[in-house]
Amino acid sequence: MAKIIHYRNKCIGCNICFELQPELWRMSMKDGKATLLRSQEKRDTYIISVSECHLQQSRDVAKACPVNIIKVL
Amino acid sequence: MKKNNIELLSPAGSFDSLQAAINAGADAVYFGVEQLNMRAKSVNSFGVDDIARVADIARVNNIKAYLTLNTIIYGHDLQLLRSILTEVKKHGIDAVIASDFAVIEQCSQMGIPLHISTQANVSNIEAVQFFSRFADVIVLARELTLKQVHDICNEVRRKGIKGVSGDLVKIEVFIHGALCMAVSGKCYMSLHTQNASANRGACTQNCRRPYLVKDAETQEELLIDNEYIMSPKDLCTIGVLDQIIRCGVDVLKIEGRSKGADYVHVTTQCYREALDALESGNYTADKIEAWLRRLSTVYNRGFWEGYYLGHKLGEWTSQPGSAATEKKIYVGKGSNYYPKTGIAEFTVETGSIKPGDTLMITGPLCGMVKEKAQKLVINGRVGTEAVKGDKITIPFGIKVGRQDKLYKIVEAANG
Repeated sequence: MAKIIHYRNKCIGCNICFELQPELWRMSMKDGKATLLRSQEKRDTYIISVSECHLQQSRDVAKACPVNIIKVL
Repeated sequence: MKKNNIELLSPAGSFDSLQAAINAGADAVYFGVEQLNMRAKSVNSFGVDDIARVADIARVNNIKAYLTLNTIIYGHDLQLLRSILTEVKKHGIDAVIASDFAVIEQCSQMGIPLHISTQANVSNIEAVQFFSRFADVIVLARELTLKQVHDICNEVRRKGIKGVSGDLVKIEVFIHGALCMAVSGKCYMSLHTQNASANRGACTQNCRRPYLVKDAETQEELLIDNEYIMSPKDLCTIGVLDQIIRCGVDVLKIEGRSKGADYVHVTTQCYREALDALESGNYTADKIEAWLRRLSTVYNRGFWEGYYLGHKLGEWTSQPGSAATEKKIYVGKGSNYYPKTGIAEFTVETGSIKPGDTLMITGPLCGMVKEKAQKLVINGRVGTEAVKGDKITIPFGIKVGRQDKLYKIVEAANG
């Protein structure tokens, strides 16, 4: 299992995470920022555990994020 | 000279800069919120909740406040856009600055005064005429010559082109601050290299770095006269402000929402003084020289007059960062204030302060204030050097708190 961490309040709503990995991300129509689906919130930080099959794609998403607010552990 | 009608518009990227602009004599400020502005990456970016406070501060100080909503807008931004505009309307922000047609459309529907951003690259009178159906102020592209600006202003008056308010549409130009390679900011460079779109406020400024040209086949590197081939010097028009005013423009904008309160204070104050000098007939070469010296003390990449005088692009900067002649070094922050005696206490967190040092305080209430530390009171006693952990007290007429930062001003090595 791997963890994805999303520091959501710094999101600029560029759309790239949703474009690359629509199964884990959605663009919120409410505030225009990306939402990490099924994640748990802890003080504005959103975390989910994902299986190994998501790992490489999640790393690509983290690399593509222009404001560097996605971490894969 | 019609100075009294000319509006000096300053950047407010934080509450510190907002107060600095007010103190230095700005007629209006512009600011951005959330991710829908060209400085979305800026650390101090305002949120929707700050709109009310900015509007209040502007109202109390009798200046105008404009909200910048000038990024590209995607479908998922539309609801956020609507919420921001609802707040704008509710709190009486004077206008929205936009280039995307969604913002133009929503402002039009909601009856919110609109300014067309330089991002729309307005470069001719017919474009002005087109946008005048929706807006009251048009910010021209930064790449025009003074002759072109003059012709546009003349035509607005000759044709009687009116904005939504029913008054003649106003023409705004940039007078100071960063320029870039792209036409009025429409740039894709950091998007291509780092997936960071400048048009969503995420510009990584990779154009400001030195580059080599390499032959892909032979790997041979070519020598280029100037390594910083994509980084123009900053626009500075203090020496040609008379010519700009003669063009008939109505609003003069200073760039720099990502820059500090010291930059906002010094640039606004210099241009305020220059406008006042123009009105009273005291706009002299000596004064211009003194203003240039002062403008050089804060963040800059070296100065040129931009494209206004018809110069070809070629005024490149010679270094990656600022060429400011002064440097601010963070020392500590406000820790207490004694209103009865007007004494401010700061806690030194790093470095040291000695008597005779020039101190700079920035904060949401004071803006930017410089003080010379003639006598240093350290932990309640007169001392010769304050270091980490010490508390220093200085007489200061404005309340300070933990948000106020204390800096020491030193001469920059490149100055």
